[in-house]
Amino acid sequence: MEDRELISQILNRNMNAFTFLVNRYRKLVVHIIGRLIQRNEEIEDVSQEVFIKVYQNLEKYRNECKLSTWIATIAYNTGINHLSKFKKVDGAINYDDPSIFRSLIDFRTDNYEQIDLHRYIRDQIELLPVNFRTVITLFHLEEFSYQEIGQITGMPEGTVKSYLFRAKAILKEKLKFVIDENSLKIVKEISNEK
Amino acid sequence: MKNNSLDQIIEQSFGTEPDFQLPDNFAQRITSELERRSQWKIDLTEYLHLTAFAFLIFAVVMGTLYFVNKETLTHFFTFISVNWFPVVLVTLLLNFILFADRVLLPLLFTKLLKHN
Repeated sequence: MEDRELISQILNRNMNAFTFLVNRYRKLVVHIIGRLIQRNEEIEDVSQEVFIKVYQNLEKYRNECKLSTWIATIAYNTGINHLSKFKKVDGAINYDDPSIFRSLIDFRTDNYEQIDLHRYIRDQIELLPVNFRTVITLFHLEEFSYQEIGQITGMPEGTVKSYLFRAKAILKEKLKFVIDENSLKIVKEISNEK
Repeated sequence: MKNNSLDQIIEQSFGTEPDFQLPDNFAQRITSELERRSQWKIDLTEYLHLTAFAFLIFAVVMGTLYFVNKETLTHFFTFISVNWFPVVLVTLLLNFILFADRVLLPLLFTKLLKHN
C-alpha cells in the first residue's frame, strides 16, 4: 500500500491502516529514538509518543516531503525534547575544539579480539556525541540524503557532512590503536562471508 | 591498505542495525492508547451534554411554572433563597457524582489497567 493511500485511510479513522503505518515505520523511529536517548526502558514510551503525534498531526502533512522524512522529523524533535527534559543536550559543545576531538578518541583496549568488531564499533558509536550518532543513523542506516537530514534536524548540509566525516575519523582513530593488520584481514574476510 | 579496510569496516558497521527493540505488540499498544485518549474526550463531552441537558430541563420546568403557576415558582425561589447553602451543596455534589461516574472513574480505571 502506498503512503498516500495509507494516509487517506488513516484520516478516515481506519485503525488497521494506522497499525500498518506503525509497523512500516517502527524501525525508523526506534533507531532515531534509541540513538538519541539510549535508555532502553524509555525507548518504547518515547516511540509511542512519536506515533501518537504522527496520528494527531497527520491532517497537517502536506506531501512536501516523503512521509518517512516527516515521521523522522517528529521522532527527532520528540527525542531531543525528551533529552532536554532529563539531561543537558551536548549541543553546546564546540566540536571544532581540538581538545574535545582528542577526548573523543580516548579509546578502550578491552579484549576487542574476542568480540564481534561490528558490535565493538556499534558500542563506540553509542559513545559519540548525540549529533554525530543522529547523522550516522539517518545517513547510513536510514539512507536519507544530506538535504533530508538537514530538513529533519535543522542542521545545514555542510554541518551534516562535517559530523559524518568527523564521526568516521574518530572511530578510525580508535580502531587504529586497537586493531593490527592481521586482525583486520580476518575481520574483513568474516564480514565478506556474512 | 589498513586505512581503506578500516573505512570499509566502519561504513559496514554504520549500516548495521543497533540492538534497540520494541515489543511485538507495539502497534496494538499504540492503538489502545489512542482509543483510551479519545475515549476520555468522548466521556467528557457526554458529561457536559448531560449537565447541559439537566440545566435545560430545569429551565423548561421553571419556564412552564412561570406561565402556569407563578405562586409555586415564587415559593420555590423563596425556599432556595432561604436554604441556598444546602441547595448549592447538593447540586454540586450531584454534579460531582455524575462527573465521577462518567469521566473520573473510567479514566482512573483505564490508567490502572495500563499500569498493570
